[in-house]
Amino acid sequence: MTSFDVELTVNGLARRATVEARRTLADFLREDLGLTGTHLGCEHGVCGACTVLVDGEPARSCLMLAVQARGADVRTVEGLAAGGKMNRLQEAMWDSHGFQCGFCTPGFLMQITALLADIPEPSEAEIREALSGNICRCTGYESIVNGVLRAAGATGFLE
Amino acid sequence: MQHIAERYTGASVRRSEDPRILTGSGRYVDDVRLPGMLHAAFVRSPVAHARITRIDVRAAAEAPGVTLVLTGEELERSLVPGPGIAAMFSGGAPVPAFTTLASDKVRVVGDPVVLVVAESRYLAEDACELVEVDYEELPAVMTSQAAQDPASPAIFEDLASNVLVRSPVAVFGDVDGAFARADRIVRADLRQHRHQNAPMECRGVVCSFDPESGELTVHSATQGVHIVRTTLSTALGLPPEKVRVLAGDIGGSFGLKLGAYREDVACAAASRRLGRPVRWMEDRLENLTFSGQAREESFEVEAAVTNEGEILGLRVKMTIDTGAYPGMGAMLPELVKTMIPGPYKIGALSFEWTAVVTNKAAYVAYRGPWASETWVRERMIDLIAMELGMEPLEVRLRNVATRETPPLRMVTGRSLAGVTARESLEAVAAKVDLPAFRRLQAGARGHGRYLGLGVATYIEPAPGPLEGRGGGGIMGPEQVRLRLEEDGTVTLFTSQMPHGQSHQTTFAQVAADEFGVPIEQVRVVVGDSDLVPMGFGTGGSRAAIMAGGASLHGARALKARVEEIASHLFEAGAEDVELSGGSVAVRGVPASAMSLAELARAARSPGRLPPSLAGDVEVTAAFDGGEGGWSGGSHAAVVEVDVETGQVRVERYVVAEDCGTLINPAIVEGQVRGGIAQGIGAVLLERSAYDEETGQYLSSTFMDYVLATACEIPRIEIEHLETVPLDADVNFRGVGEGGMIIAPPTLCNAIEDALSPFGVRVFEQHLPPARILELIGAIPAG
Ligand code: FES
Ligand code: FES
Repeated sequence: MTSFDVELTVNGLARRATVEARRTLADFLREDLGLTGTHLGCEHGVCGACTVLVDGEPARSCLMLAVQARGADVRTVEGLAAGGKMNRLQEAMWDSHGFQCGFCTPGFLMQITALLADIPEPSEAEIREALSGNICRCTGYESIVNGVLRAAGATGFLE
Repeated sequence: MQHIAERYTGASVRRSEDPRILTGSGRYVDDVRLPGMLHAAFVRSPVAHARITRIDVRAAAEAPGVTLVLTGEELERSLVPGPGIAAMFSGGAPVPAFTTLASDKVRVVGDPVVLVVAESRYLAEDACELVEVDYEELPAVMTSQAAQDPASPAIFEDLASNVLVRSPVAVFGDVDGAFARADRIVRADLRQHRHQNAPMECRGVVCSFDPESGELTVHSATQGVHIVRTTLSTALGLPPEKVRVLAGDIGGSFGLKLGAYREDVACAAASRRLGRPVRWMEDRLENLTFSGQAREESFEVEAAVTNEGEILGLRVKMTIDTGAYPGMGAMLPELVKTMIPGPYKIGALSFEWTAVVTNKAAYVAYRGPWASETWVRERMIDLIAMELGMEPLEVRLRNVATRETPPLRMVTGRSLAGVTARESLEAVAAKVDLPAFRRLQAGARGHGRYLGLGVATYIEPAPGPLEGRGGGGIMGPEQVRLRLEEDGTVTLFTSQMPHGQSHQTTFAQVAADEFGVPIEQVRVVVGDSDLVPMGFGTGGSRAAIMAGGASLHGARALKARVEEIASHLFEAGAEDVELSGGSVAVRGVPASAMSLAELARAARSPGRLPPSLAGDVEVTAAFDGGEGGWSGGSHAAVVEVDVETGQVRVERYVVAEDCGTLINPAIVEGQVRGGIAQGIGAVLLERSAYDEETGQYLSSTFMDYVLATACEIPRIEIEHLETVPLDADVNFRGVGEGGMIIAPPTLCNAIEDALSPFGVRVFEQHLPPARILELIGAIPAG
């Protein structure tokens, strides 16, 4: 199997590795870099658990090959907290009891990070639309939506 | 006694699980990395029913990176024959013989046939491609009707036929009298489709056998470490103390991850043989196809009713399709039988059931496994109301049990003490304002819009009344162990194995209140069979009441122990010593205060205490659920059906629930909403579909087995009812399963109501757009 050299930035750090052509970005992050925060829920592009940011855009790391991320700036869930302190979105999710088992969580957090970069104060409908490609089997979504609203500084959504 | 406002119990305390889960530092089984770890993959059957005539693994064994290839026959030589986990949930039904990897026959698409272990998952899968298996196909038995045909080919040779159980008719009350007195008999054939758990994390295991010590360490995604330990030690013929099972964070389960599965046994045997860790992570194809499915049951029901809407009696015949391999299917009908009267004064019941084997995935536990009793009963009530031209809520209120002393009983015998079904029905009816809704509905119909309202009610034994609960052994009392550590914190060990339920937060809340320390000073340890007390694990709605109660009693016992130790150290009477605010002191002498850390250290220093108190400051406590009681509630849904597209939109969803004393309202509400989301998905989207000719599985991706997203699930309005306390201290009740039990009937009732102008009657649970269009006659029924 042919191998390729890959250089990319992950959570701000320059990384370099030699990978097989067929290595997915998800496996590269999880197995080669030990960044197991990114999860695999389906490996066929539907659940969104594996979502990471590639050059700021959400991407399904199960459908992308590591070689396709050459030269890219990749952000994963491990890159959200800085200096051991959760960021605003993580704090808001904690306050909102956003998640339960936590398996879908990395994908949601990265998808939401991209959403809030695009639309800093999204409406509930915009949030639901933006999250429609991420599946959570535990929560029924309301707590996640509340977490996004809270992170965006909205008030009055809590009963 | 602390002031009530300062208690953690009852407050939506932030979860202690979240800092790791939100930062990507959770540790799920797929994150376990061990030195020298190998990776397993399985060759699985592409056909539903066949004899295996030849297996050739030579090419695979020589493929790059491959360390072991095991066929069923070879694997079996290293195992102790026996039914494994299957016997535990068989409910007394016959358990057929089969091998861990299929060796003579395959019985379902996805049946594991050959295990390949290699240096990476990629290489293991490559080698799987090189395994050759020849199959001589047999007709696939794909429906319970086909299974009952004596001519159908036996799926298991040692079972006389594909009918696993045909029960006798059980009769409660005067059934014939009830039907003789009835003004009308309402009949319906009702069927539930095949659901599945589909947790976001698939199953997985890492088995590590140490040839030096003869010990097997297993990292497992499971609902209970001890059952995994028992099943693996039995299958491998290892003494239980040589098997240690560890579990970290679990990415959901909903009943699926109970005990060691066949793949887990195969990986453990492979690790023992290789002396290296072997890891297997199920992929989604394997998960959806093979790991387990639930709920496929059908019912023939007759209800004897009066013209005033009184339900005098029911006659029920149930058929359950348990799939190919034994799971939980055969034990459920007896539960359905006892529970089917629900919180109603139904005076007579006859119940009989049949369980069949088919070439489908095994029937497993799924969130409220016996839930068909609620769906069937609540569906029947709406059909009765329709027949009588009455408001369905009226029929419910006419029949629902009222709280009386002594409490009423279901005709099947169980006490209805503390049930608040009437209150919850009235609460949801008030919240949706029934008369106003009917006016709105009538007006909308004038404009070609079809709105519907559905109401349903349920009770759940969580854990159910003491009397009739039975059960010792592994389903018996829940134990916890608490230890005061040398830094003054408290460690609580529990066999509960949370997989989203937040037990590390809720048990800490309860224990911190009772022991009187800040919640941060209570650490809840789960998921290590060497450390946690024996117990079933999480399931059966045990956690809140059983383990919550054990946490309360354990913290109380630890407090008493601490005070006893302090009285020795202070040479004071036990009644003169007080533990509060994290230190002990002689009452009224603040200067005597000793921190809990000091006390724990003193207890461990030799010679400072009598032998009975010296050493670790540790207690064990157990709780059997006490008077127990029911969890329950009523739900109401407002839907709009688009008769052009068949789309159903849930416009409003209202809940009045009673799960006893709330430990953490936000966590309770999360459980309620999550269950409802699964119930909405089950009705509108999800279905495990098979080709009934070939036995091929048709729902093997998330494009085919469709789960609800944030766009389909509405906000859920929840009202918590004040509970009827039954126990002096512990009135928490389980709340995990209710949403999934009650949402399907609520939604089906709403959809039928919306479509009443078309004369639609709903006899099934799966109502995707195409089916809606068939029901209203817009497209021909397929
Ligand atoms: S794992 Fe990538 S979308 Fe599901
Ligand atoms: S929290 Fe479990 S899947 Fe979302």
